[in-house]
Amino acid sequence: MTTTAPPKGTPERRTAPRPKQQRSGGGYVLTVAMLAVLAYFLLPLFWLLVSSTKTTGDLFSTFGLWFGGEFNLFDNIGRTLTEQDGVFVRWLGNTLLYAVTAAGGGALLAALGGYGFAKYRFKGNRAMFMLVLGALMVPATALAIPTYLVFSEIGLANTPWAIILPSLAHPFGLYLMRIYTESAVPDTMIEAARIDGAGEMRIFFQVTLRLLAPGFATVLLFTLVQTWNNYFLPLIMLNDPDLYPITVGLAQWQAQAAASGGASGDLVPLVVTGALLSILPLIVAFLFLQRYWQTGLAAGSVKQ
Amino acid sequence: MNPRFRRRTALKGLAAAAAGPAGLAACANEPPAPPTNLTQADIDEAMSTPTDLTFWTWVPDIQNEVALFEAAYPAIKVEVVNAGQGDAHYQKLRTALRAGNGGPDVAQMEFQMIPTFSITDSLVDLGPYLDAGMGEKFVDWTWSQVTGTGGEIWAIPQDTGPLGMLYRADLFEQHGIDVPGTWDEFAEAAAAIHEADPDLYLTNLPPNQGAFFSGLLWQAGADPFAGTADEVLQVDLQSDTAKRVASYWGDLAQRDLVSTDPDFTDQWYQSFNQDRYATWLTAAWGPVFLSGAAESTSGKWRAAPLPQWDSDADPVSGNWGGSTSAVMATTQNPIVAAKFAEWLNTDSESANMMATEQFLYPPTLEILDDPDFTGQELDFYGGQQVNEVFAQITDTVTEDFQWSPFQSQVYAYYNETVGTSFTEKGDAVAALAEWESRIETYADYQGFTVK
Amino acid sequence: MATTTSETQAPGARPGTARGRESKRYAAAGYAFIAPFMIVFTAMILVPLAYAAYTSLFREQIIGGSVFVGFENYSRAFTDPQLLEGIGRVALFFLIQVPIMLAVALFIALALDSGLMRLSKFVRIGVFMPYAVPSVVAALMWGFLYGPDFGPFAQLAEMIGAAAPDFLASNVMLGSLANIVFWEFTGYNMVILYAALRSVPTELYEAAAVDGAGPWRTAWSIKIPSLRPALMLCMVFSIIGSFQLFNEPKLLQALAPNVIDNAYTPNLYAYNLAFVGQEYNYAAAVSFILGLVIFVGSYLFMYLSTRRSRS
Repeated sequence: MTTTAPPKGTPERRTAPRPKQQRSGGGYVLTVAMLAVLAYFLLPLFWLLVSSTKTTGDLFSTFGLWFGGEFNLFDNIGRTLTEQDGVFVRWLGNTLLYAVTAAGGGALLAALGGYGFAKYRFKGNRAMFMLVLGALMVPATALAIPTYLVFSEIGLANTPWAIILPSLAHPFGLYLMRIYTESAVPDTMIEAARIDGAGEMRIFFQVTLRLLAPGFATVLLFTLVQTWNNYFLPLIMLNDPDLYPITVGLAQWQAQAAASGGASGDLVPLVVTGALLSILPLIVAFLFLQRYWQTGLAAGSVKQ
Repeated sequence: MNPRFRRRTALKGLAAAAAGPAGLAACANEPPAPPTNLTQADIDEAMSTPTDLTFWTWVPDIQNEVALFEAAYPAIKVEVVNAGQGDAHYQKLRTALRAGNGGPDVAQMEFQMIPTFSITDSLVDLGPYLDAGMGEKFVDWTWSQVTGTGGEIWAIPQDTGPLGMLYRADLFEQHGIDVPGTWDEFAEAAAAIHEADPDLYLTNLPPNQGAFFSGLLWQAGADPFAGTADEVLQVDLQSDTAKRVASYWGDLAQRDLVSTDPDFTDQWYQSFNQDRYATWLTAAWGPVFLSGAAESTSGKWRAAPLPQWDSDADPVSGNWGGSTSAVMATTQNPIVAAKFAEWLNTDSESANMMATEQFLYPPTLEILDDPDFTGQELDFYGGQQVNEVFAQITDTVTEDFQWSPFQSQVYAYYNETVGTSFTEKGDAVAALAEWESRIETYADYQGFTVK
Repeated sequence: MATTTSETQAPGARPGTARGRESKRYAAAGYAFIAPFMIVFTAMILVPLAYAAYTSLFREQIIGGSVFVGFENYSRAFTDPQLLEGIGRVALFFLIQVPIMLAVALFIALALDSGLMRLSKFVRIGVFMPYAVPSVVAALMWGFLYGPDFGPFAQLAEMIGAAAPDFLASNVMLGSLANIVFWEFTGYNMVILYAALRSVPTELYEAAAVDGAGPWRTAWSIKIPSLRPALMLCMVFSIIGSFQLFNEPKLLQALAPNVIDNAYTPNLYAYNLAFVGQEYNYAAAVSFILGLVIFVGSYLFMYLSTRRSRS
């Protein structure tokens, strides 16, 4: 590791794009290398796309990375959506409900808290913030079994709350929002609003929340992804298939497929097609919200 | 009563007080008090009161039988839920029991799992709810499997898995091999066939299938948990019989005369279709399952009894799998749940449908004696009357075989010890000792008196 | 955490002034702002932690119910070969997987930032895409791809007449799992690093250009050092992620049940202790220890790296 000291002075945000350097031979080598890297990262997704178009027989007998004889995509999608009285749609709906509620609620709590920690002086501010920072390092899954035991005692296991509530407390979100508030919300603005006679809550919701939008969107997106991808917690919390999120549901289909004949059974294409359908919404969300999470992340990662 | 057990019981009260909520949760699973004298009028009233039941099962298309039940008892609605297959099902069942909500009224329960759930007071004793003489409808050993040590009836048998051998007649013929009648002949055949064709194994020994291995122990006459009752756990995996079984298979695995692929994986299914295995040692539910899983080999298979250890004695077999319907102690409707479990498995139309459409191998004498069932000729087996073969095997299953009160854990340890010794071509007899020692340590932690 | 409070985001920000001058007049409002978060935080993180600590002092037995056993679960844990082996395994996983992942992520981020290559936006999104894929789906996909008969790698090997690689064998399983995690999270780390690179002040580059430094030199002596905080963040997340490995081994267990046993990773072990072995209290103790290992690990890491940067 180099021991160069971190850059001093007043760094300023680069607004203009970096001047384009001349593309040299090295540039082409780099481009080719990066395309190879890209191929690796897209390979499984390509496989998934190709496999969703196959019949059970073709899945196991034709080359995995190219289309099989029959184009069965729409049939597979139809079956995936109607299998077991449309339980897949239900799982997708559950995931959406859990993820959106947890992300929206979690981001709001983090924004309120981060703003409180950043802009107010009160007894215990620092101590409580350090406590939250410490919890950043407590792994979510190590908490899952204790949380399950607690929820079982109070009768909350096997309800949607069992998934939503634990996802609301997001220490990293709070941390990010605090840092973001410090840099994005000028104190003068708050003071000016106070002089105008605005209440504290009104200042937050009408004046500052707007400035926090990129940070808020980042926390929102990352909580969304975490809840969307959550497997361990719902696996132990839920035992009613009607409450399953898509991850637990797909894993169950996979197990069912294996137990009922694998290649000779009929469920494998549903697992594959279901997997494809389950990742599309998030990919689309990320593509559309690129601008937000990239700005927000920059704020979170640069200043610590 | 064992003094240690008394002490623990006394401690239980203390600890429940100290442990607060955890202690309460443990008590929440107490079964409803059994009715002292249930009259037909009580039953009729319950069965005509609108009631919702939840039934957890992984049996495909069992909705059809449930629909018959709902037609017979229009007041009762049964929701069929597939919460998982095998292990996953039991794990979900435990999380539900622990959470105290979301669990089923009636659950699919393999024979081997009954003691595991009865010892935690999670099952209802069906004795008081059943019609008189219910036990006489079933094959003896299946009824003794659902009977508790105190005479409780923990479940109603649904299907069984007496062990037999399915073999590829074409491959046997091609390599000039006779159907082995004894395990010695089986070992010779394993060597001969693998030598003739290095890609072909006489059979696959699934290293992840403690239940199959238990069936082999059962056949050989080992009964490792015999004598286990309440707080006393008896475990003997060091008997000569158990060692004999382990060393026999360990030796075949070591010499690479059998393959050791985990079963019910895509790889394993492929192997049947690619002619890698010449036999499948399997239970009575196997023949129809295989005909779906290895369609490309239709017509080439035949069924035979399991090879024997002692060629002079009467043939014997063990059991692998098969299951029951059990009523969970968390049910609010024990009468309806018990009657549903009974009806599902003993009503002739329902039981027949299971035997002929889901191909669950029946435990009831009525169907086993029915020529329509035993005489069924299956094309996959070249027109052989496979049900008849297994009906005869059913009669050779010995009645005594006991399960541990924590069978999931026993199988988890099996995979880690004996199973892994097969895949790694290690010492299976030493692994057997390790298996026993892990079971004993665990039992000790769980408060059992290990003998 | 390091406390480099360089304000850059909003022009005209004057940090601390209001806080300095404001009296405790607004303290109540401050409490009101943090209250919702702190309540949920307490209920969902502190309470389960405390409960885990409390319940880990008991042993609920199949025979005899719940018994107070003091620290017995902990003394058992510290001598439990299955747990120790699992912790060792995830530590090895961490040591192999994380450096490679971060190095590749850094390399991609630098390449994207260098302005030397075409299609950079496309590459950035493509590499990040796997992050949007749930790990359950990732494990299912790779499970298929690893398939010994029908997986595309095996098919390719067969085409060229080579022996099909066995990705699920016991000596390669950890690598196969590492590959899945690498695939899922390289893009995520790359985006964090890339975002950090984008906010390195331009004049530093201009100065370097005046000194005649080429792109590699600039990357090495200016860009990488300025990435320290971002790298630390990635590192801490990777420590947490590696040690709590669960989803991928849980799903691949179905394909290789004798390679991935019930104690393959500490988290898998805790799950199986609770729901297969019904040893809930011991499972809580294992969770608690695992949390502690991660906490101490990441704290130690941060402590060491901040001390080093100050010296």
